[in-house]
Amino acid sequence: MERDPDRFWNPYLAGVALGLVLLGSYLVMGNGLGASGASLRLGVAALGVVAPGVVERSPGLAHAWAGGHPFDFWLSFEILGVVLGGFVGAYTSGRLKWEVLKAPAFPRAKRLALALLGGLIMGAAARVSRGCTSGQALSGGALLSVGSWAFMFSVFGGGYAFAWFVRRQLR
Amino acid sequence: MTFPFWSLTAESRELGLVAGVAIGFAFGFVLERAGFGRAQKLAAQFYGTDMTVLKVMFGAIVTAMLGMVLLSGLGLVDLRAVADNATSGTYLWPMVVGGFALGVGFIVSGYCPGTSMVAMASGKIDGLMTVVGVVAGQVIWTGIEHLPAISRLQNASDLGHVYLPDLLHLGPRAGPAIVALAVTAMAVAAFLGADRIEKILAKPAPGAPARATPARRAVFAGFAATALFALAAAALPTGSAAVPAGPPRLTPMELARRVLDEPWKVRVLDLRPMADCAAARVPGSECVPADQLGKLRLADANPAREIVLVGGADLSAPPPAAAAYPGRVALLDGGFPAWKVFALEAPPPPAAGASARELDTWRLRAGIAAAMTGVKAAPPPPMPSGDAPAPRKKGGGGCGG
Repeated sequence: MERDPDRFWNPYLAGVALGLVLLGSYLVMGNGLGASGASLRLGVAALGVVAPGVVERSPGLAHAWAGGHPFDFWLSFEILGVVLGGFVGAYTSGRLKWEVLKAPAFPRAKRLALALLGGLIMGAAARVSRGCTSGQALSGGALLSVGSWAFMFSVFGGGYAFAWFVRRQLR
Repeated sequence: MTFPFWSLTAESRELGLVAGVAIGFAFGFVLERAGFGRAQKLAAQFYGTDMTVLKVMFGAIVTAMLGMVLLSGLGLVDLRAVADNATSGTYLWPMVVGGFALGVGFIVSGYCPGTSMVAMASGKIDGLMTVVGVVAGQVIWTGIEHLPAISRLQNASDLGHVYLPDLLHLGPRAGPAIVALAVTAMAVAAFLGADRIEKILAKPAPGAPARATPARRAVFAGFAATALFALAAAALPTGSAAVPAGPPRLTPMELARRVLDEPWKVRVLDLRPMADCAAARVPGSECVPADQLGKLRLADANPAREIVLVGGADLSAPPPAAAAYPGRVALLDGGFPAWKVFALEAPPPPAAGASARELDTWRLRAGIAAAMTGVKAAPPPPMPSGDAPAPRKKGGGGCGG
């Protein structure tokens, strides 16, 4: 099979495939998919090693720390799978490349700073809304949770509201 | 019920974690193949030139939703149990505010938390930066979320587990199927609209293949067929699906866990005569003799807490006054006698050579029995609190409700 980095699955078929993965997760694990839960545990575990005093002083961090070792948490294993799956997918499609994705004229340092800033915002937001696009919108939306649907429309609202301000970044 | 397997229970935990890696692998691979490791493709959703995000996301939601509703209609999966386990409760305002902020972070970074992992795995340095940001953002926020102002925002409007069919007061069997059909119709309309917008705004890339309409037709037809099949399965009066599951029952162990771990989420009502209840009862329970249950006006009560009914003997069904409660009502299996045997008598020590699991169970039970009997005399029982219902607050808002 030839590798064409610009060739993607048909979005409708990709949607069905993603839905079947999610359905499999419900049936086999009794849980949906998630992306932000594991990163909190890993982050708190890392902080606990570097600066245990900080973790002890904050009730929220201490609670997450007491919640257990990140390697005894199924979402950590799921995330390990996501990284492996993403790597294999990128390798087999010819998209595996060490690079910064940005619009050609956009400065590289600025792009990296915005990527970090957006990540920080999303990390905090995922705590407030108890999940991100994977755990809340996708997994909760398919189970018809009211909060998940409110969250999902809000995500699109936030994206469209701010798209104009960063319009030169990626296109 | 055949599903779910609950792969993460103690007996099969290692296997469950391996299954977790496999499911994650499929998740990551599909995201990559859909193009979600590329920030330009994700961001294009918000400039209208490429609506892949909307199509993949809604397509996945419709697929998984129809699968669950269909299997539930056929009696193969306990939809409510999976939903209560896999979703968080609804905190309406935090979710609206958090969703908006997450959308801002999405367009600023070009990724969402899950797709940033895929981008990182395919070597994108900006994806790596976003992963670092998401981890740091979560840790920082978790570090400060106990502050009163943040905690107030974050825990506002807690509606408990609430689902779209509940809002429309549709039945537990037909409701999910009807809502699923409506969501499917809405998604298909959104797909058609998205294709139209793309056609107007996108500059067709040179050499790009023509839109694969056969795939779209096949997917739409599959959705329609599954949705109708799910509706038919839910409407069938007979078959395995029609056997009512009855009210949920809690074993004394499950009740003990709730009472000890999350007492604010349960309201335990003891229906035995006042004298029996005053002598010994489940900690935190209210003594409400069965004939006084109507005074609590449970039909108008806030449905956030689960009600657990404790009877003098095994209850077969909740009394009508409790059944009218809009939230969950569960029965204690075996009534108070079962609780007494479980919690108030020290369990016999395990035999020599007992398995680690038996030892664990014994340790837990012995701990519970010690904690429950450590109090020599029970404090006086609270009286039924429903004699004079407080006037309902007018209007919403504030911290109450």
